[in-house]
Amino acid sequence: MSSESLPLADSPPPVAALGAAPKRRVLSDTVYSVLLITPAMILILIFALIPLAYAINVSFRFADLTSPRGVAEFVGLENYHFALRDTFFWSSVLRTLNFAVFAVAIEMVLGVAIAFLLHDIKWLKGLARSLIILPLAASPFAVGLIWRYMYHPEFGVFNYLISRIGLPEQNWLGNSDLAMASVIAFDVWQWTPFVALIALAGLQSLPKEPFEAAQLDGASRWRVLRTLTFPMLRPVLTLVLVLRTIDAVRLYDAVVSLTGGGPGTTTEVVTFYLYRLGLRFFRLDQASAMSLLFLYATVVFTGLVLRRFMREMGERTRAKN
Amino acid sequence: MQTSKITVGMVLRHALMLLVLMIFLFPIYWMLVTSFKPAQEVLTRPPTFVFEPTFDNYRYAFEQADFTLFIRNTVVIAGLSTLLVISFGSLASYSFARYNPGDGHILFFILTTRMMPGIAVVMPFFLIFRDLGKTTFGQLFALGLDQIGALVVAYTVFNLPFAIWLMYSFFQDIPTELEHSARLDGYNRLQVFLRVVLPLAAPGIAVTAIFSLMFAWNEFLFGYILTRDAARTITVGVSGFQTQQGILWGPLAAAAVVCILPMLGVALVLQRYMVRGLTFGAVRG
Repeated sequence: MSSESLPLADSPPPVAALGAAPKRRVLSDTVYSVLLITPAMILILIFALIPLAYAINVSFRFADLTSPRGVAEFVGLENYHFALRDTFFWSSVLRTLNFAVFAVAIEMVLGVAIAFLLHDIKWLKGLARSLIILPLAASPFAVGLIWRYMYHPEFGVFNYLISRIGLPEQNWLGNSDLAMASVIAFDVWQWTPFVALIALAGLQSLPKEPFEAAQLDGASRWRVLRTLTFPMLRPVLTLVLVLRTIDAVRLYDAVVSLTGGGPGTTTEVVTFYLYRLGLRFFRLDQASAMSLLFLYATVVFTGLVLRRFMREMGERTRAKN
Repeated sequence: MQTSKITVGMVLRHALMLLVLMIFLFPIYWMLVTSFKPAQEVLTRPPTFVFEPTFDNYRYAFEQADFTLFIRNTVVIAGLSTLLVISFGSLASYSFARYNPGDGHILFFILTTRMMPGIAVVMPFFLIFRDLGKTTFGQLFALGLDQIGALVVAYTVFNLPFAIWLMYSFFQDIPTELEHSARLDGYNRLQVFLRVVLPLAAPGIAVTAIFSLMFAWNEFLFGYILTRDAARTITVGVSGFQTQQGILWGPLAAAAVVCILPMLGVALVLQRYMVRGLTFGAVRG
């Protein structure tokens, strides 16, 4: 049985012949398929293309919403030039990458470790799995405010716990050397369970035979991990990595509730800088140009990785058949 | 083969698992504890763990702002948008899985619509709904600013791409022979979809519904920008405890509990459906 789960460009449409069976033929497959996607496509086209067209239009104009002229004359590529030269923008990009690299790396390592743990335990396995999922379901904004309370330099529970084990108290969100790490810690708390659950599902779907053979050959645990487990988990882990990265570079809610971009601009990631520029300083023109650059980068990155991923999945499916 | 003997390694692993769980659940525990603290114990040094629990924070929060309204709004908005996502999304997703209109290009385009940072599209959304609210059509469906319909539409649009991709693999798994024989039995296409395909795809639809619901419930930015009073959602309501004297942490914790607890409940009850959804169905969970 075929078990492909993602669309493959080279797979034939499964049921071209479905329309041949009925007694009374009313619609062709093509017309029917278009009819089915119409309601969703109308909504998506209106609410994806109008904002996109708006952003593109504004990005080529002068638009300062504090001036009475609002969206004004055509200025060519000026906003894009500004975006390329704007050091605040580029340092926010660097901060975003910095955040994404550290947060996602820690989440991957911790998540996989926890997956192995969840896989190995015998008692209360189901309960542990149910409970570990909870951080994922919490609204990032609301639970971020709770973390801000826990990070409180004077009355926060983190400083209390840390002083109990003999470490010095910290100004978690107020110290510019520590603030980004504190935001990363929050993200790690919320998203490590996501990595853990997917890695666990991957572990559970591994075939048994190669491992039994390895055991018979007396292979060491480490060798089995290195030559069997991790290579077989790779497609799943790649997918998690991509999904997490796309999400991490769009970090917004947590920054709003934890630090508001501060202290200074030390936690001002791209989305937050765009918010400041576009909705507080009302320079929609520059903010739009930067958003489009950001969108372009994300789409290209996703397109490249996803295509490779789909190809790998396709090869895996074919190899199985 | 596993033996039933209790080994040291096994005990250590369970101890480690317990520690991991305690760390990951601590913030939720602390939120609950804080929400029941009397006002004078919320900011103490060291923080108290044992105290006389009280409902004062909840009472204060509900007096201070209309949380009953926020909850009602959120339930209606999240519920309606999930319903729309499932209806439109399942039709489209089935079409892509069976007939592949657009040869995969439309499907990828749909995915890219989710990549625009929310902050970049919130302004155009604001303007669209401001203008829609002035039309008769907009007034009929409450599509103006600070109206429920606007958020329903916004969340539906955000969730549709994810939903279509998520249900895709579930529809592909349904053997086409079943649809074939149903058609031979005299069902028309729509009956095949409604009576044969949909019931078989029920687990996939459940997953999609959970995620749509959670996203709409937890969303902050659009809820914040597109509403003022009448259509405020619960997540935005939690942000309302910043005063001149600082943040009122006790009532804030109470509001956060009201906001977060329902989705924790959903996750606990339905977690076994969730794993496959988290990976777009790429891993059989």
